[in-house]
Amino acid sequence: MIITQTKAIFIDAYRELNAKKLFWLTLGLNLLVVALYASLGINEKGVTLLHWNFESRFFTTALVSKELFYTLQFTTWGVPIWLTWATAILALISTAGIIPEMVSGGAIEPVLSKPIGRSRLFLTKYMTGLLFVALQVLVFTVGCMLVMGIRGGAWNFNLLLAIPIVLAFFSYLYAFCAFVGLITKSTIAALLLTILFWLAIWIVNTGDQMLIMQREGSIIQVEDRQLDIEKQIEFADKRIEQLREQDKPVPGDEGNPLPDGYEDIQEAVNPALRMSRSRLVEAKESQATWTAWAARVITLKTILPKTQDTVRLLERHLITDEDMAKLMGFDAQSQPQNTSENDPAFADPRAAERSAEIMRKRSITWVLGTSFAYEFLLLGLCCVIFVRRDF
Amino acid sequence: MSAVIDITGVEKTYNRRIKALRGVDLQVGKGEIFGLLGPNGAGKSTLVKIVTTVIHASKCKGTVLGKKIGDKAALQNIGYLPEHHRFPPYLTGRQVLEYYGAMSGIGRKDRKAKASELLELVGMESWHKDKLGSYSKGMRQRVGLAQALMNDPQLVILDEPTDGVDPSGRRDIRNILTQLKDEGRTIFLNSHLLSELEMVCDRVAIMVHGLVSTQGTIEELTADQSGFEIATNAPIDQTLRSQISTLPQIPTILDGKDPARMTFQTNNAASVQPAIDALRKQNIIIESAGFKRPSLEDLFMQVVDTNHGDKPGAISGAKGSKGAKS
Repeated sequence: MIITQTKAIFIDAYRELNAKKLFWLTLGLNLLVVALYASLGINEKGVTLLHWNFESRFFTTALVSKELFYTLQFTTWGVPIWLTWATAILALISTAGIIPEMVSGGAIEPVLSKPIGRSRLFLTKYMTGLLFVALQVLVFTVGCMLVMGIRGGAWNFNLLLAIPIVLAFFSYLYAFCAFVGLITKSTIAALLLTILFWLAIWIVNTGDQMLIMQREGSIIQVEDRQLDIEKQIEFADKRIEQLREQDKPVPGDEGNPLPDGYEDIQEAVNPALRMSRSRLVEAKESQATWTAWAARVITLKTILPKTQDTVRLLERHLITDEDMAKLMGFDAQSQPQNTSENDPAFADPRAAERSAEIMRKRSITWVLGTSFAYEFLLLGLCCVIFVRRDF
Repeated sequence: MSAVIDITGVEKTYNRRIKALRGVDLQVGKGEIFGLLGPNGAGKSTLVKIVTTVIHASKCKGTVLGKKIGDKAALQNIGYLPEHHRFPPYLTGRQVLEYYGAMSGIGRKDRKAKASELLELVGMESWHKDKLGSYSKGMRQRVGLAQALMNDPQLVILDEPTDGVDPSGRRDIRNILTQLKDEGRTIFLNSHLLSELEMVCDRVAIMVHGLVSTQGTIEELTADQSGFEIATNAPIDQTLRSQISTLPQIPTILDGKDPARMTFQTNNAASVQPAIDALRKQNIIIESAGFKRPSLEDLFMQVVDTNHGDKPGAISGAKGSKGAKS
């Protein structure tokens, strides 16, 4: 009976999706984007779009293989921009009404009077919401895989990982949407509050990235200033040695007191050392501040679903560390290399490189584990509400 | 009579203050058509929703189909047509039946066969491919009724089944109910249309302000009010009434509001002949004479009037529900 009921709910969900024009519109758009993906290419001179050529220093077949080129397109805009923004918004619009419509007066009574547990009914309905995204992502991913195989000459079945990853990403949002829909019985409220929630997660994620970059920038600054101080000390020691060899007075020696405000001989012979030390203190204070804020945001992020980190798992899996290092090298070359002392810490390209590395090395268990824990708790709460509620 | 619904002390309080049900006792026998009546806000739909597990009772004892309320095995044998139902408009009539059939756990092959059979039964076979969104209210009601029968239920609960249905459709529904009864199924009807209930129900219960005020067969419930009625062309004055009441072997005269009528508590026409003679002697013309039973509407109005002012949630001492009058 469980299989019959589950199958019926899924078939009903498919019919509901089928009746919505937005489902077919989104599917059509997905195919259009796959066509755009197919129209891109790479040759020895640069990037091609249909019959147009765009010369590039880095994106040539000499430096980037066709497979890597298509993988990059897939992981830099195919999934993170198209699937997890555009398609996700269309999917939310299409599916936000599933739970509110299910619990609306007149619709829920015949279903609740059937021999099906309420928790199972709710969770199955929730799963049907994910069906929309599953079908869209399946079409897009398989399309991209075919393009990569035919145009890029590489059959990368790992691309199919996009399906569970994008589904996981969407499920975080859809759990919230289902929760609001259950509480308010309103499709509009469910949709709008979910988009606000998504925006809040995006702000936290962006804050997390910026704070990590700031923190890493300030750590680099401290390291640089420590190196600078070591050089200044070395310089001061050489200067003291020179003065002594030349029998010249050395500040701090007997009969030659240190000038006011100087703490040691090295600073007295090399006034720049004093400035460097004071700048090191500033840099350490800055590092402590950024470290504390980064820790606060990561704590907040731990209890929230990690949408961007989840999507980034695909890039981690599809692009090797070696390829990534090569790409980071290109990136560094394209950045202005001369950073001055007055530039903010995060402007240092090394900060961007380190923060990217930190993001890339984040534990999969943390990314998925804490996100699924959030989802599990939220859906659990939904089940409790749904089971106890009178309709 | 083996009870299909046997519940006692059913209470439902909303938001800890609004008492929708205040200790309902109800017994519905196997194979009967049972009508639940009551004014708006009496708690009829709440009671139906408790039986079908749509809402949870605050207190409840008893069984439905011999099982605890909410038992999956019992639910598998219950068919339910809710009031103001809203079936998915993107489904065709056939798909609605197959969907709810599947939700009752019926296999694909049986679902298809049953859907065809029921679409024919409710007269919707020629519309089965059309989407529900294009149906009239009466057509949706017919499909709703068929949906409630998909699982071959032992207990069919219908909340306002003829709502929005035209007279010929109502007759069809009545015929279906009779057919279901003949098949041995129990039908629980919740309706405002007293005349229709009267035509099909074996037993009825009248709910007022969260309590079952009375329940039994219509004959049982109206026995006190049934008798031999004489209608005259002019009012019968009190003196003449008193004289008639003192005639030898004359049955008890029942209270009536119409001064041009007299009702005697008897089922023996011979016993009222002296009263007719007395009236004729006074040159009063007899317009009609015969046995008369109050209609369900009369009974309903009487019960509601008796309980007038007994508002739900406003009574501190809950009134106990009465058992069947027999």
